[in-house]
Amino acid sequence: MAKIRIRELTKDIPKEARLLCEQMLSDLEKAKRPVLEAVKCSLDNSFYNSKVGYLTAGDKVVRTELNVSSVQKMARTIFMLEILLGNLKSGAVNTKREYYYISKGLVRSNPHYRPLDFDDQPESDAIIDFIGDMLEVYREEMNCFANDRGGQTYSKNLVVTETLADGSIATVDVGSLGTTPFQPKNKPQQFRLKPKKGKIDFCLIIESEGTANTLVNNGMHLRHNCIIIGAQGVPSNGVRGWCKTIQDQLKVPMYFYGDLDAYTLQNIFRTLKAGSAASLIRNSDFSAPDVRFLGVLPEDVKKYDLLCYSVNERDVAEARSLKKAKDALENDPFFQDKKNKRLADILRWLVKEKKRCEQQAVFSLDPKDPQILEKVIVEKIKSGNFV
Amino acid sequence: MSKITSSSTAEYFAKNLQQVGFSSPAKAVLTTLKEAVDNSLDACEENGILPDINIEIHKMGPGASRNTDLVQIIVEDNGPGLEPDDLAKVFGEYLASSKFGRGRCSRGQQGIGISAATTWAQLTNASGVRVTSKTKNMRKALSATIDVDIKSNRGVVKNKETVDWDRPNGIRVEFRIDGRVVLNGDGGLLTYLEGTTLVNPHMSIRYKLVDLDAQVIPRVSSVVPDIPSATLPHPHTMKLGEFMTHAGLYGKITLENFLKKGFSRISDATLKELTAKGVPKSMYGKALSAITESDYKKVYQALHEVDLVAPSTRSVLTVGEEGLSKSIQRLGEVDFFSVVTRKPRICDFKPVVVEVAIARFKDRVAESSDGPVQLLRFANRVPLQFDKGACAITRSVESVNWRAYGLNQPKDSLPLGPFVFAVSVTSPFIKFKNASKETIDGSDDLVEEIRRSLMQAGQKMARHIRAEDKAADLERKIQHIEKFGPILVQGLARITGAAKSREKLAEEGLKKLLGRDASSAEAELEHANSKLSQLKAQERKRFGGEDEDESVVEVEDADAAKPGAKSSRTEKTVPPRKKK
Repeated sequence: MAKIRIRELTKDIPKEARLLCEQMLSDLEKAKRPVLEAVKCSLDNSFYNSKVGYLTAGDKVVRTELNVSSVQKMARTIFMLEILLGNLKSGAVNTKREYYYISKGLVRSNPHYRPLDFDDQPESDAIIDFIGDMLEVYREEMNCFANDRGGQTYSKNLVVTETLADGSIATVDVGSLGTTPFQPKNKPQQFRLKPKKGKIDFCLIIESEGTANTLVNNGMHLRHNCIIIGAQGVPSNGVRGWCKTIQDQLKVPMYFYGDLDAYTLQNIFRTLKAGSAASLIRNSDFSAPDVRFLGVLPEDVKKYDLLCYSVNERDVAEARSLKKAKDALENDPFFQDKKNKRLADILRWLVKEKKRCEQQAVFSLDPKDPQILEKVIVEKIKSGNFV
Repeated sequence: MSKITSSSTAEYFAKNLQQVGFSSPAKAVLTTLKEAVDNSLDACEENGILPDINIEIHKMGPGASRNTDLVQIIVEDNGPGLEPDDLAKVFGEYLASSKFGRGRCSRGQQGIGISAATTWAQLTNASGVRVTSKTKNMRKALSATIDVDIKSNRGVVKNKETVDWDRPNGIRVEFRIDGRVVLNGDGGLLTYLEGTTLVNPHMSIRYKLVDLDAQVIPRVSSVVPDIPSATLPHPHTMKLGEFMTHAGLYGKITLENFLKKGFSRISDATLKELTAKGVPKSMYGKALSAITESDYKKVYQALHEVDLVAPSTRSVLTVGEEGLSKSIQRLGEVDFFSVVTRKPRICDFKPVVVEVAIARFKDRVAESSDGPVQLLRFANRVPLQFDKGACAITRSVESVNWRAYGLNQPKDSLPLGPFVFAVSVTSPFIKFKNASKETIDGSDDLVEEIRRSLMQAGQKMARHIRAEDKAADLERKIQHIEKFGPILVQGLARITGAAKSREKLAEEGLKKLLGRDASSAEAELEHANSKLSQLKAQERKRFGGEDEDESVVEVEDADAAKPGAKSSRTEKTVPPRKKK
């Protein structure tokens, strides 16, 4: 099976892995404690440069030295690394969940491995992530793919071309699918995109998959030369990679439309635009820095007199979200950057006002007009009312 | 206008038995048993007798009330017995007591409990208590049924007969009441008997509860607690009304004599200070009958402005660490325990002594390792079994940070684990929250004193837990090395394609590395063990025991005190009871 390439990887993963193991073995022979080092993927090791456009990793590393407490983690790492290398060799691809079961199967078939058994999937996921961070490679490059979620795409003017594993070419005219969406996989970088004719005017990413579907059912994608994508909440790697591919290949203006609340701004929009602290090594290929925040903006609330909810601080989730927003203003380099001052201002407004407004609130403006949201969005794009 | 009538004390209690512990069928059985046992133990102690208590509880069929059984409760002791003339007073008259307001650490205080039990029997089964009594001077025992004449608060003796009784002296009481027998749980009969056993090392007890096998628990101490004599009240513990009533007891003596003889801690120097606070010297020579209310108030106020020496702590009684150490082993097979008897302290101008015993029992480890500890509370050596949450003892236990001593503890809650915490508060003036004496009303002073005792016991217990943790840590580390080491090396060898010789060398290197970690864990364990040995040695020195392996002292009758040992009687000895 041909290897799917997300980027021009200069690393030979099997060779790197062997070198690492060789070093560990050699240390052990000398009764020296082997050390594993991985990029520290956390906010305190995240840096943001508006020219780069996404969160990058600093110098901090997670250092695991062999001792009685870490011997289990090291043994599990080498055990999982061996499974991944086997897949790289054969070209087989699996999800994290499947790797969890593969490891369980190996343990079951060989009682010698019993001490390594994972109690649940988060344990094996953490080891896979650690290997990725250690080798500084994407897990997709180790043939490990997550579930495909979100990214349903609609356009009358988009053609997607894919080179299949056997070398044949598949061409999809997204406009010919009617109201059926085109669903990118977790490896969207393999697609070649082009407009059927001319140039596409804009790409609109909607937080709610349902609302994206409403816009399509009402014919927005037919009336406008655009691409509409449903993000389905926090964007998955597939959605992030897909937006990055659209941005790079089609060079169209990109807008995000979602709720006006701290969670959307921090967890959804920031991840889409600049990546996340947990995925520092992959943000370069899995973020779309050109995406703009179309709304809902605080000024929209005022201008359209949109219905808002008060943030219930006794609700654990809402209180946590508010606290996270305060933390973000103090610690998140993305919101601290001058270029994102207006986004930080929105966070400040949310913290101060303790209000939230949902993306669907626009439908209250004219209950008899099913196209009201489309009209507001187009008006906002035309008037440059976005951040 | 409706007619104003007055009622007798018995009438009041007959209508309000729930206030004195008869609020449910289950509590009725427990309270009846408790009152009878309390009286027996108090009587034995007053007369320097080592108590032998025999208890039987049987279900005799359905009770008259719905959802109850007719329960027979028999309590027999080897106490001094009661003179025939006293039977009606003791069992049939409220507030007839030899202990009321005497300021001593006896279990009973007011003379309500046993009369209330008689009333309950009378109300639910139409017959009071059957009493058999024999004093040393009596050739035959007297047996009679005592009822309470509720209208006049008088005891009525019925069916009197003389009977042969094969013991020189003692009392046997038999109640037949509507009730429900609950054995386990906080309010269970077994919990009560376990607690009573713990704080009365000098008591030997035999009990047969419904269908369970009879159990015999021999005494582990042959010393009858010497109940200290009462001390005079301290002026700072009284309110103005009490102060004046107290004066009423002293008749025609002078104020000076009343103050000096009627209270503790008042001396000539105190009188001088009172004078300085505005009490005229001339008043001291006046007879009490000539002192006006305003004068009393003046003296009372001056007394409260003067700093007095705290009251004597000689009136409090302790079980003692040695007694607790021996007694705790009667409850089951002890893994380890720690006991603390604090010195008597003054809390709110009242002498009080707090004792704490914490133990882990081998047979309870599996069944209650995740639940809260079992808390046994005692006031004047009587178990408190209800309304745990409102009690000062519970508050104190919850206020200690048990995590520091190696126990898990949810926030502001009892710690978790298979432990029994026994906390005993003894004082001649315990303030209860209700007449049924179920919870101690705690001032901040008292809570702090209990807290300190608990922390002291916790420190001792922590040494055991720490040593165990270190041993477990070492075990875990050794297991880790054995389990993961070879897998790691073999995995590395497979990925690199290394030869067997390299694999072997790497395995040796790994063992060397992890062996160093294990050695440091061994050193920590050694340190923890030496600390524990020090503690054990200290305790052996204090109690004079010779046990090498356990931090316990030798019991006087070691075989008899161990669970499962046979006693001279035919029944099974000591019931390390199962907790639900």
